[in-house]
Amino acid sequence: MGEFRSRIAFSLLIAALVAVATISMVVDRRARLTGGSLLPGWTRVVLDAAVPLQKMVALPFDVARDAWTRYVALIDVADQNQTLRSQLAELREDNLQLREALVASGRLERIAEMRDDFDVPMRPAELVGVDVSPWFRSVLLDRGQTDGVLSGMPVISEDGLVGLVTATSSRAAKSMTVLDRQSAVDATVQRSRSRGIVRGRGSEGIVFEFVARGADVAVGDLVITSGLGGVYPKGLRIGRVTAVSDPGAKLVQTASLEPAVDFGRLEQVFVILRRGPTMDLLYRAEDGDAAPARPGS
Amino acid sequence: MKRIFGLLGLGAMALTLQGAVASFLPARFCPDLGFLLVVALGLCWRSAVGGVCVAGAIGYTSDLLSGSLLGQHALLRLTAYAVARFGNRHLNLRGALPQAIFVAVLTCANAFAMALLTSFFSPGTGVGMAAVRELLPQAVANALFAPLVASGTARIVARLGDEDGGQRLLPLTPRGRIA
Repeated sequence: MGEFRSRIAFSLLIAALVAVATISMVVDRRARLTGGSLLPGWTRVVLDAAVPLQKMVALPFDVARDAWTRYVALIDVADQNQTLRSQLAELREDNLQLREALVASGRLERIAEMRDDFDVPMRPAELVGVDVSPWFRSVLLDRGQTDGVLSGMPVISEDGLVGLVTATSSRAAKSMTVLDRQSAVDATVQRSRSRGIVRGRGSEGIVFEFVARGADVAVGDLVITSGLGGVYPKGLRIGRVTAVSDPGAKLVQTASLEPAVDFGRLEQVFVILRRGPTMDLLYRAEDGDAAPARPGS
Repeated sequence: MKRIFGLLGLGAMALTLQGAVASFLPARFCPDLGFLLVVALGLCWRSAVGGVCVAGAIGYTSDLLSGSLLGQHALLRLTAYAVARFGNRHLNLRGALPQAIFVAVLTCANAFAMALLTSFFSPGTGVGMAAVRELLPQAVANALFAPLVASGTARIVARLGDEDGGQRLLPLTPRGRIA
């Protein structure tokens, strides 16, 4: 009789937990579609606690990687230095000539005014951990709401677009990278202005989809954010075209991209402290408890 | 309670370690330590209620540290625990090789279930054939680490006070009266 009772209790416990998990999924999906706070209060504590733990555990790995990159893997540095110096000299020369041309056309002052208008505040953040599931491509950052980081803010590195903040706690943030299969970025080819959507493909990188058949896309083209989705600012580098597929009978074509950011070596990122209009609408409800003033708005 | 808290701490450490290691290794070669720990609990810990609680907590924490929907990993970890417990009752999973094969198969089933759930909740973003190709190295990595994690977990369970830790769950209750 006792064993029967314990089996019933066990079955009920399993059923209750399965029900809780299913309801959580439905609620979270709904929250992602309609905006609002993504994480319940107590789960933010878990996210906050994860950052120092991750940093502590990653310390030996960081030391090993630093030792390798700073002391062991320096065989070709002298040659690289020489190449970079010559490239730098060429670029300086180009830069001077371009400046001269701009001054001559009177556009330099107008560009300076424009830069002041679009000067976006950024917050540097350190990547402290990557997704614990191999099927998703999120990263954990060591900056949160106390640093002004909110859900929906774009994340970049010096090389280009990294992703989007999807959840925050007071001292941590979770960011979905462009490699994630759930990521979609409205993009354009810098050279020809052909438009499409960049989607994540996990470890296969990213692809440029829904490009109109016959649009001018070639191998080597740089793909940048178009700014039209209202999520990311315009002009952020996403990647370079490595292959263009034959559309066949389809109305759209697809191109494979090599991400501008080397996600395997990503350590330091910058969170743009200004959300696009779409994200601002979506996450406005979350700002109520987040409190920090949005710079620039 | 001591065992549950101890194993919850172990789960947190496993997820933290995995998050750190995954920064340096490609995701497909990185063993899923949270998953392996849950399976190991199904294989070596007698307390079903404790096992379910720990599996659910590990799954939910995985959801917090991942890009998945909240509850997605929790549901799959609970299922993995139940399957591991069922498998342990009906199969001989004592050696390293049977455990490795069992975990490899379970990894594949887990991945397909993840793909189904993702496709259901986020249509068009599901795990495609490319991800299925990634499955093989992931299954091999999990299979290689499974015996290690299972034996380590069994020892920790035993050290935390479960005298039957590490023993196979054999239904020893006599069905009839012995003459």
